[in-house]
Amino acid sequence: MTIQTPAASIQAPAALKPGEAHTAAPTKPASMGASVKRSDARPKVIGETRYGGDMWVPGMLWCSVVRAAHPHANIRGVDTSAAEQIEGVVGVYTGKDVPGTNMHGLIRRDQEVLATTKVRYMGDAVAVVVAKDRRTAEHAVGLVKVDYEVLPGIFSIDDALDPSKPPIHDHGNRMGGQKIRKGDALAALENDCDVIVEHTLETQSVDHAFLDVEAGMAALEDGVLVIHAAGQWVHEEARLVALALGLPLEKIRIIQPPTGGAFGGREDISIQIYLGLAVLKTGKPVGIAYTRHESMVARHKRHPLRIHYRLGAKRDGTIVAAKVEIFADEGAYASTGIAVLRKAASHATGPYRVPHIHVDAHGLYTNQNPTGAMRGFGACQLAIAYEAAIDKLAEAIGMDRVALRRKNLIGAGEMVTTTQRIPVVSIQECLDEAARRIGWDNRDYTVDPAKPWLKKGYGISTFCFGLGYGDGFPDASRAKVRLNDEGLVEVYSGGVEVGQGIHMMCAQVAAEELGVDPTSVQVFLADTGITPEAGSSSATRQTFFTGNAVRLAATELKKVLYDVALRILPVHPEDLAVADSFVYDREEPARRVTFLQLVAEAKSRNLPLEVKSHYQPNTVTAPTETGLSPRVFITYLFGAHACEVLVDTETGQVKPLRIVAVHDVGRAINPQLVEGQIEGGVVQGLGMALMEEVVMKDGQIMNPGFTDYILPTIVDTPPIEAVILEHLDPEGPFGAHGVGEPPLIGTPPAILGAIHDALGLQITRTPATPERVWRALMEAKKQPAKV
Amino acid sequence: MQFHQPKSLEDALRLKRELGTDAYFLAGGTDLVVLRNRGRVKGQHWIDLSRVSELDYLEERDGTLQIGATCPHARLEGTRFTALAEAAASVGGPQIRHRGTVGGNVGNASPAGDVSTALLAFDADIELRSATATRRMKLAEFFLAPGKTAIAPDEIITAIFVPTDVRSAWFKLGKREATAISVVAAACGVNAAGKVHIALASVAPKPLRVTAAEEMLAQKGLTPETARAAGDIVRETIKPITDHRASADYRLDTAGSMVTRLLTQLSLN
Amino acid sequence: MLQDRAREFSGEPSWTVDFTLNGEPKTLALDPSWTLYEVLREQLDLIGTKGACLEGECGSCTVLVDGVSMNACLIMGPQVEGKDVLTVEGLTKQGALSAVQQAFVDCGAVQCGYCTPGLVVAAEALINDLQHPTGEEIRRGLEGNICRCTGYMKIQQAVERACELRAAAK
Repeated sequence: MTIQTPAASIQAPAALKPGEAHTAAPTKPASMGASVKRSDARPKVIGETRYGGDMWVPGMLWCSVVRAAHPHANIRGVDTSAAEQIEGVVGVYTGKDVPGTNMHGLIRRDQEVLATTKVRYMGDAVAVVVAKDRRTAEHAVGLVKVDYEVLPGIFSIDDALDPSKPPIHDHGNRMGGQKIRKGDALAALENDCDVIVEHTLETQSVDHAFLDVEAGMAALEDGVLVIHAAGQWVHEEARLVALALGLPLEKIRIIQPPTGGAFGGREDISIQIYLGLAVLKTGKPVGIAYTRHESMVARHKRHPLRIHYRLGAKRDGTIVAAKVEIFADEGAYASTGIAVLRKAASHATGPYRVPHIHVDAHGLYTNQNPTGAMRGFGACQLAIAYEAAIDKLAEAIGMDRVALRRKNLIGAGEMVTTTQRIPVVSIQECLDEAARRIGWDNRDYTVDPAKPWLKKGYGISTFCFGLGYGDGFPDASRAKVRLNDEGLVEVYSGGVEVGQGIHMMCAQVAAEELGVDPTSVQVFLADTGITPEAGSSSATRQTFFTGNAVRLAATELKKVLYDVALRILPVHPEDLAVADSFVYDREEPARRVTFLQLVAEAKSRNLPLEVKSHYQPNTVTAPTETGLSPRVFITYLFGAHACEVLVDTETGQVKPLRIVAVHDVGRAINPQLVEGQIEGGVVQGLGMALMEEVVMKDGQIMNPGFTDYILPTIVDTPPIEAVILEHLDPEGPFGAHGVGEPPLIGTPPAILGAIHDALGLQITRTPATPERVWRALMEAKKQPAKV
Repeated sequence: MQFHQPKSLEDALRLKRELGTDAYFLAGGTDLVVLRNRGRVKGQHWIDLSRVSELDYLEERDGTLQIGATCPHARLEGTRFTALAEAAASVGGPQIRHRGTVGGNVGNASPAGDVSTALLAFDADIELRSATATRRMKLAEFFLAPGKTAIAPDEIITAIFVPTDVRSAWFKLGKREATAISVVAAACGVNAAGKVHIALASVAPKPLRVTAAEEMLAQKGLTPETARAAGDIVRETIKPITDHRASADYRLDTAGSMVTRLLTQLSLN
Repeated sequence: MLQDRAREFSGEPSWTVDFTLNGEPKTLALDPSWTLYEVLREQLDLIGTKGACLEGECGSCTVLVDGVSMNACLIMGPQVEGKDVLTVEGLTKQGALSAVQQAFVDCGAVQCGYCTPGLVVAAEALINDLQHPTGEEIRRGLEGNICRCTGYMKIQQAVERACELRAAAK
């Protein structure tokens, strides 16, 4: 994707005219820390931006996918003849038509592109139809006959644990696991604790529900298969397409079109291979677009987890030990499931000082949607669990919830769950700020006396989040920064823009380093034909990784510019500086050359004004059996949320009244974009806490559309105070580290904690729908209160 | 699918008689077109009412509010008929309320029909017309089952008649603050003679009147105490189902609470 | 690079409508089984009208019909006969952004941007009807539009800002 500079408005400064003299140093345009307006906002507000589903060319064919008719069945045969006979159908392709290896998957290549022997959930693809237009293709899809031998299904964690149930995969229904063994939690819980609290939590399946449903097009151009499709890691998608289609990588180019949200939901490959296959078979351009229904049925979801938490402490509130058991519904295929499970385990005790930790996490296959990446990535479910346990502990020992947290939060140099020591820890400050802003010490519980069924509550949460893939997984970003013939800075990165604003981050980092106006920087993203690999836009990693890569390249480019400048200017190298597209002498600012002059000089001497960079810090794998490592993640982010809710005790409705979200982002490169990330994450967290849930019955989604998959609207959103703290990260670009996932993570525990505060009981299944809250109240009425 | 666009009610009725049960009237499209977009096109023929201006009106005359069948929900929102105005405002987002019609809501006979339920609390009448005859009946008798009504294949809904002497109240319970499909909704109305009507959505196969509670109130009068008793009768009477939106016991209990709340409010005003 | 161009019309143009589209009178032969959403996008290449749910819940396809916000995905093509239809493309006059569009840019109300055209159109109708809506009126006026990215705060600010911009322009 190319982010175009607003044409006429940007001009490189002209060279000095004869007789003209500057005495003052050129001014560096504001970049770092400036809320520079998004360059893509204008085309978006006027409706000009073409997303994947908005692209088409003359003669383009259409591709539609035949999905499984059963959640678990052997395929005896596929009869495509009736579909092929429809006028306008160009071809119907099954697994045996896939020219390369008929497999894909992000971590394990365990899912057939087009299922040949077995379907394992309703979203499995069995065939693709290519026809002259969408309506013909969709009609023909209904005529593809698949002969199934229906198998009993695995539809829950309990089913998957039941050895008498049939295996979904040859290796059974256990996908993998992760342990943490720090100290001896079992003994400590037995011997060293005055108080033990237990909490069992079941979290739900969540759909990413980005608005821009999977759609795109592909065509052959000069023998290269060019695919316009939105993913989160174009280079990896190119590798998966190459594997499935048996093509060399250089014959594949993936270009990310402008993209309407992702949130982890585009990490698994979607339409790319189908499009490539259709183009290879027909030689024509081909388009595809899922419906919302198909998107929900076919795509991966957030992991439903069942978490058993035991937390032991001294009477004074000092936490001693935690024992955590996690069961994850991984769905039908691996997806990024094992990584999510490991992240869940590594965040099992959050930002708390817990000497003894014992975690067992189990991933289990079911005949439901694969579960994989989604904003929060396992850490958000655990945050609900540990915060609920801390609240329960506070209740048990009669201690203020904020005070109890303050007592147990780690400080600088202390360890998180994995024994990694964190040098910069701002969690105490985040907590204090959140508590202050919500008015914790003067909480007001009064409600309208005419409505005695209402109750108010306050919740608080603290959390941490390890940034990047971590865990020893190779994690790198490459960038290219150059000066073009107009003297303008260009940045190339394979990172994808899905709404978060990576292009602005790239522009502002490069502009800061090179002293130019950030709006003059041209950013080229996510095109495997022209941009270097940057890894995925996920794991809250792009600001840190690509920000560093861009900064490295920009720093080097600056050196190159100085070298060229020294050929023109009689200046001491140490006195050189850049600002406003000039290289100038700090001591005598009138001595200066424009970038344009440097371009001319470099051209005449055949010097390239282009630098490539590679940023790849290392992490250390945590063994499956212990989960311990001195550096599981590059760095940790901290934050605290607080909220105030109103609960209707007759209907169970929960209305958030106010949410405070405090985040230490290291450095806010663009504060307006950071606030946008925080506010957006909070509302997704609100959806997860209160309403969003993919309802499954016997492997079928009961609510595959927005009528029944309920998303928060503006009316459901209370005022959100996004508070940015900046403790510069020593390794981050200009001290920044990132903000993507934490705003979601902090929200559900704060809201659920507020419900607990209002009602004196905890909701143990998310989302806390009106019915679940009502049911909890009913059950509490039935039995005498526990002490 | 064949499309027809009559310019008068007479033409619409003639088409309906010719095309029979395979023809569907299209107004706002907030149900019919949703189904079509999901790949489930109803009927071979669609008779579009967007140019039949005779059906698009809202007027108050002789103590009756007369609502033309294609009057959009949005037009009811600002009216003084509380339950009706609030029910109309809760049908969906503004775009849906500008488009969806009262006749469509009633004609679909969805168990979750918000406006239909509110109309029951007013003890409204419905007017049906065929090419040859016009008849009027109680709306409560019009609803038979989910999607099934007393309409004949050659008839069209022309109007709803709403008594204007009814004080009313409305409560809709969904899964979010913004409008969403109801889990339970309740409407209560009290007319000038003190007669109380209680209606519920999403607790039965059709929008439901709770006559047992109404009869109790007719005998004992409406007070905060009888309001509570009416809620209990609701809990004893209705037989909601469990589906993917909510469980039966939840619907049962909250329907009772809502009715008590609404009646208490009406008893105090 | 691939060209972006209108797709060939693949329907059966058996119906003619006369209507006004973005200020211009238009006579169009269309397939009566197509929705306005499909006609705008697939036939006229007005791709600013988006669709994320096609069941009237997300508001991405919001257009104004005679000044009133509606979901284009639920309107059948022939139903625009005689109507004045305004899409997001019609809001920009000679390249100048409307007050709402400018405010969305200024306030950071745009992230992925997929909901943006629908929201901009809905907001336009809202502040045409109520010159100075209260916060509650803004929320109620935009409850038919889902945004998955921004958390709505900046959208609300943008609508407030748009009212100021309009007032200042008078």
